[in-house]
Amino acid sequence: MTAIGAVMYREGKIRATNLTFIFWDVVYPLGYLLVFGVGMSRAVGAALPGGLDYNAFFLGGVLGMASFGIAANTAWSFFMDRDNGIFYEMLTYPLSRSEYLIGKVLFNVLIASAQAAVTVLMARALLGVPVRFDLLPLLVAAVAVGTAGWFFFYAIFALRIRRNDAFNTVTSIFYFVFLFASSMFYPLEPLPAGFRQVAYANPITWQVDLLRYATVGAGDPSTLMLEALGFAAFTLVTFGGALWALYQE
Amino acid sequence: MQASIDVVDLKKTYPRRGREPVRAVDGLSFTVKPGSIFGLLGPNGAGKTTTLRILTTLARPTGGTARVGGFDVARDPLRVRERIAVVIQESAAELFLTVRDNLTTFARFHGLRGEEIGRRADRVIAQLGLDAEVGRKVMDLSGGFRRRVQVAKVFMVETPVVFLDEFSTGMDPLLKRSVMGLLRESARGGRTIVLTTQILHEAEELCDDILIVNRGKEVARGDLHTLKLLASGVYEVAITFDRLPDGIEAELAARNPIRLRISGTTVEAAIKEPESRILALVSDLSRRAQVLRVEIGGASLEDVFVQLMDGENGGGQP
Repeated sequence: MTAIGAVMYREGKIRATNLTFIFWDVVYPLGYLLVFGVGMSRAVGAALPGGLDYNAFFLGGVLGMASFGIAANTAWSFFMDRDNGIFYEMLTYPLSRSEYLIGKVLFNVLIASAQAAVTVLMARALLGVPVRFDLLPLLVAAVAVGTAGWFFFYAIFALRIRRNDAFNTVTSIFYFVFLFASSMFYPLEPLPAGFRQVAYANPITWQVDLLRYATVGAGDPSTLMLEALGFAAFTLVTFGGALWALYQE
Repeated sequence: MQASIDVVDLKKTYPRRGREPVRAVDGLSFTVKPGSIFGLLGPNGAGKTTTLRILTTLARPTGGTARVGGFDVARDPLRVRERIAVVIQESAAELFLTVRDNLTTFARFHGLRGEEIGRRADRVIAQLGLDAEVGRKVMDLSGGFRRRVQVAKVFMVETPVVFLDEFSTGMDPLLKRSVMGLLRESARGGRTIVLTTQILHEAEELCDDILIVNRGKEVARGDLHTLKLLASGVYEVAITFDRLPDGIEAELAARNPIRLRISGTTVEAAIKEPESRILALVSDLSRRAQVLRVEIGGASLEDVFVQLMDGENGGGQP
């Protein structure tokens, strides 16, 4: 625990050197919800399947997008650490490779949780989204496991790819594929069958569906159970992959 | 007494696509006593850094064993890491943190907490002459100061073993001297210091025990005096003239010197010849131009190194 705490302390210290960065980290999903969400809500009206208002529908999506973004940024920090040389020095510190990964992700889970709290509270206060506060523990779990799963996923690429520009290209592709071929921005039911199948196989759909249920209670519990198990398995597999990639350094 | 480091038949090969694998370390065996300063020397690509990477758990050996502080680097890497502090060859610092935060963050990884961290940071900052820069972010410091911060970290903790890979890169002579003093003091206190360096007079001044490697294998091993015996009969001659005698360079080159350097009116050569012939050479040269200064000494570590590498490379330049 000491080692994980030290990694978290380090991450916190680095993040605290730029308060604008922290501020943006915490409020950007809210900004997205207020700008994109309100705009879309007005454009498409309230005619989503299940009678859900677009802002309520999009709240889970915006939280999923936020944890996806935090995970990508945190994985990118491996490049920064490698450039500074500190990455290799850290690998000689008294901590195991798994403690290194977990410490890194735990700090970002804290940021993601703060982000989720601000976004959910503001969505309730400013947009009148009918937030299910009784499902808060599920929301915290979905944010935490979601951030961790995507961080481990990105870490595999950040650790195996040597070039910063190549990693940026990979993240751009992932952003496009994962975010748009998912239930983040729109319901999947009206979409063509092929598109729907891709979206159902996309782990971000599983996470966003869980977040949507945890925020506004929308979704089928039996499907959600499968999606939760799927995402937990995804997180374990990506953790194994990230650990493997770290051992290759 | 248990060795601080115990390496037996250590091997590390790197596969290469479509070509023979590279044997970076090829059967090295050595032990290092606690409280000693051990120098690992060799030309570029000799396997020094790879050996250090294995000992610091950054790379796994392909064969053989290596134990640090009694723990196997491959089987118990975490136990090894608890016992070491490392200055890697590349510059390594938290660029966005201040000098002080770099030191305190490092100390936390080694389990230090509370006021003790602050006390140690104050002491190390003073020892390494970092007082004026303490609140500045490392990204705003020069390369030399960044290296200073990197080296300062090893004095924040009391790990029994310290590894330094080319630690003096970018340091000014005064700081280098003070770091060397701190390293000697640490060793006297029982800490084992392992260093690699290309600057041989640094190793000559610091190391109790030296291992010279080339192509991943041991070439010579011993303390400074033992190694210098390998170059017995080698003399270093330095003569400053009022003007260079005609044809001196060709004349000295004909004697196959180990080293020959002419700078201005000063000639420096390391020559393997009997003492009487060296004295005759100096006497002859002094008749052809006025000698302002003359020094004759025994072989330096550099002479030993050059001679050994010359032999290894079949008489060519290392």
